[in-house]
Amino acid sequence: MSVDRADGTAAAPQATAAAPAGATEDKSGSLGRNVRRKEDRRLITGHGRYVTDIELPRMRHVAFLRSPYGHARITGVDVTAARDAGYRVFTGQDFSHVVLRAQSALPSYVETDQPVLAHEKVCFSGEPVAAVVAKDRYRAEDGLEFVDIDYEALPATVCAWQEPEVPVHPEAPDNVLLQRTFDAGSVTDAFTAADLIVERELVTNRHAGNPMECRAGVALWDAADGKLTFYNGTQVPHIVRNMIAELMGVPEGKVRVVAPDVGGGFGVKAVLYPEDVALCLMAREMPGIPLKWVEDRAEHLLAAAHARDHRYLIKAGFASDGTLLALEADVTCNVGAYSVYPWTAGIEPLMAGGLLSGPYKLDNYRCTVRGVATNTAPAGPYRGVARPASVFAMEAMFDDAAARLGIDAIEIRRRNVITPEDIPYKMPSRLVDDSGHYGECLDKALDALDYPAFRTEQARRREAGDNPIGIGVALYNELTGLGRAASAGPRMPFRTGHDACTVRINPDGRVTVISGITSQGQGSETMIAQIVSDAIGVGYDDVDVRIGDTDEALWGFGAFSSRQAVIGGGAAHNTAVAVKEKLVKLAAELIEAAEADLRVVDGEVYVVGEPKAQISVAELARVAYLESNRLPDGIDPGLDATTFFDPIRGAFAAGAQAAAVEVDRTTGELRILKYVCVEDAGRAMHPQIVDGQIAGAIAQGLGGALYEHLVYDDAGNLSTGTLLDYLMPTSAEVPDMVIGHVSHPAANPIGVRGVGEGGTLGPNAVLAGALRDALGIDVNTLPISPASVWKELHP
Amino acid sequence: MKCAPFDYVCANSVEEVVKVLGEADGDGKILAGGQSLVPVLALRMARPSVLVDVNRVPGMGRIRPVEGAVEVGALVRHSQLVEQTHHPLLAEAARWIGHTAIRTRGTTGGSIAHADPSAELPVVAVGVGASATVAGPTGERTVAADELFVSALVTSLDDDEMIVGVRFPLPTRWGFAEFSRRHGDFALVTAVVAEVDGRVRITLGGVAAVPQRALAAEQVLADEGTAHDAARAAAAEIDPTADLHGSAPFRRAIAGEMVRRALVRAGIE
Repeated sequence: MSVDRADGTAAAPQATAAAPAGATEDKSGSLGRNVRRKEDRRLITGHGRYVTDIELPRMRHVAFLRSPYGHARITGVDVTAARDAGYRVFTGQDFSHVVLRAQSALPSYVETDQPVLAHEKVCFSGEPVAAVVAKDRYRAEDGLEFVDIDYEALPATVCAWQEPEVPVHPEAPDNVLLQRTFDAGSVTDAFTAADLIVERELVTNRHAGNPMECRAGVALWDAADGKLTFYNGTQVPHIVRNMIAELMGVPEGKVRVVAPDVGGGFGVKAVLYPEDVALCLMAREMPGIPLKWVEDRAEHLLAAAHARDHRYLIKAGFASDGTLLALEADVTCNVGAYSVYPWTAGIEPLMAGGLLSGPYKLDNYRCTVRGVATNTAPAGPYRGVARPASVFAMEAMFDDAAARLGIDAIEIRRRNVITPEDIPYKMPSRLVDDSGHYGECLDKALDALDYPAFRTEQARRREAGDNPIGIGVALYNELTGLGRAASAGPRMPFRTGHDACTVRINPDGRVTVISGITSQGQGSETMIAQIVSDAIGVGYDDVDVRIGDTDEALWGFGAFSSRQAVIGGGAAHNTAVAVKEKLVKLAAELIEAAEADLRVVDGEVYVVGEPKAQISVAELARVAYLESNRLPDGIDPGLDATTFFDPIRGAFAAGAQAAAVEVDRTTGELRILKYVCVEDAGRAMHPQIVDGQIAGAIAQGLGGALYEHLVYDDAGNLSTGTLLDYLMPTSAEVPDMVIGHVSHPAANPIGVRGVGEGGTLGPNAVLAGALRDALGIDVNTLPISPASVWKELHP
Repeated sequence: MKCAPFDYVCANSVEEVVKVLGEADGDGKILAGGQSLVPVLALRMARPSVLVDVNRVPGMGRIRPVEGAVEVGALVRHSQLVEQTHHPLLAEAARWIGHTAIRTRGTTGGSIAHADPSAELPVVAVGVGASATVAGPTGERTVAADELFVSALVTSLDDDEMIVGVRFPLPTRWGFAEFSRRHGDFALVTAVVAEVDGRVRITLGGVAAVPQRALAAEQVLADEGTAHDAARAAAAEIDPTADLHGSAPFRRAIAGEMVRRALVRAGIE
């Protein structure tokens, strides 16, 4: 795969922070340039430090025994043989006093418990029931074979839109853990007035997150201090600290969570899992012994969070000119066996209902969403949460209506999309769109695709009887950087709108930033260093960023909802500005100049109009820390600050994707001839990182559209338990893509919009639309495979 | 996903391999490239008591062209098959095996002995009428490919026998076509067309428990039918099973199309 920029220029070469062009003219700075990534020296030379790299004295290894049943009562647990063989064994009874109970104040929400290790019954195949501790992982897995669990099988439910024979949780006899109806205007009246009603039943495919590094943890209990240290490959170390402290009844200050280098997360590592809690509880039982568990791929496919197993019963009413008049939907999301901790079973259904209408103007909307428990692995956050499915559903309405009304599929979208003039636009779900730049993204995308040329080629092929080609398009609004108002929907007992950041100018004038953000490889350290170096006026290379350690950073919710650039970046900017204010005040006093006349450029302080620097940041820092004799009255020692930032609302990122595909009529194979994406990242802080995020997200979206599918049999056994059966796209399957940008800064300190997830939103809809365009067939189930296309062609 | 305990023997000769296998009494496994064995060990789906490493056994790593055929040592890696020019069909088929790392380690003898019905080399072996040289306690014997493959992952080899080499006849015309979900995956269908001794043989992989000759399709060609007719005959005479990647009718259709493509590539229209 290679990425071309839509403006035709090659990707910009890596720049190093240049010297200031003019002494007082602040033209330097690293934002907006492809500075060398801070983490690359470590990550691309094999010096990354992942949880699995952690080796501590006296360390022991843990393996989990997992349920072979989708649904069964546990009737007997015998660990005698394992203990006789010398293994330390833990079972559900050991930790029956601890449960994970994801909370929400939504009226219909049914709270349920998730055990740390199952003891009364197992609710999905792969659920942990016991843990064995041994000298190494091989022996730990040997030890599992000595543990004897008796099961009495229960009927399993794997499909969320089927009546359960035996409910997963007695508290929810119909398996429904949450249901909510979004309602605006009057769909009944609008359908009566509509010239066309289109109606579809759409089913999307269950995915796994599959980061390259699976889950991992090392837990160590220090009995003398009563302190737990938990190295965890998590996206959310502060949340983990908070939850672990609460679950274990330990003061929060006595829990240290460290997320070292983390090899991908995509949402599945934003969950606190029973294995994590078990590891910490076991460590407390074995003081001084570090316990390590590294998830293998089979465990990951079985028991890490799944996603996107949805059904949409959807109906849209249109006027004859293509105007969307009403949208009604009934959305069922398979949330798996447990309400995912701490996000709840609402994570996918609420997102689906809140964003279903996407970037389109709509007055009349009724959408009932529900989260239904089944005997499958719990569903949780996964890059794009619900919207790859909801965008697929929404765009299907337009493709369908366009064909029936005889309107071009592009034109019908133009007639309905939210425009800049409509901003702020209150969506029928009451979310407020602050973007409106969808039309511009679409225009650029069609330009980059060379839309007319493909239409010409399409006509030629139809004439010649060659394999057909089709063009698909999708528009989406990616809600990013959710502040306290925008993140209130799930009514959880916490709001994830804010992050903290600490900025210290050290005594040598260099800067250390301790940020609450986390990184799973996406370049977060680089971004924070760029923001802080520009805000203060010091060189990019003089800023170090420390992340991932709850003993260092004051607070950060971590990586999810494309929030870090907006919220963590905003916090870094504001904090750096606060430190700079003190720096400038100190400088003004020392050089006897007015604060307003001072400029800080590349570590030197200039007075406007004077070509020569008057004092350096390093000297000011020395005064601040070491020479209090030179400190002016009223200025305390030190040059640091810690502040929080919350954008309150979110920043919508507009996006458009388009593709031309070719279909082999004989085999049903689909070949992507060209794939284009144009997004509004607001101000692109590091263009290469932005392009990387978008390209990676599209690759993941294409995987979901064409390959990835977790399949359970009726008894609740996972049929796709290895990467032999669960197909991931490799570089050979991901086409070259063209990525373009529009840039409309958002109303936050650095004007950014999140770009972490948007790419995943388009591919389902784009490819389904392209198939319809090529063959006139409806895609109602995903993934699209040669077999599914062939079946449509040979009914 | 860690294997159960086993003993390990690094053998230095074929005789030693056979001896250790014999002593293991059916519980021994040969380790060559490990590309199929190691994953099933890690999943504990195979639990041999002893692994006999044959990588240091001399004399099994060569490709030797002989009159009308190419002799391939059991330890020849798939990447070597890709690079050699003596047997173009083998080179083409080997390109479709897994990915670079797999081709660098995986061996010819290992793939044949593993007898995966979706793997490329067994189909080529049946397709050209290859024969394997098999060493056992009483010396060597020759086994024809179509007698070697008994069922999915089952061969007619005894527990204390090993393949030391495979003789692949050179087809005068050939064509290869494969259909898989992703490049490098096991095939949904592989079709090998090979003209050997004046007869066009059509062989399919992935549609039955062992590589299957499409005899009706071959007869269509013998009766001077077209590639299109032969493809239809092949699709009709097989009995594929459905799986996650497609229904039986889909596989049947794909098999026909792969036969057609392989025939066209062989210059048979």
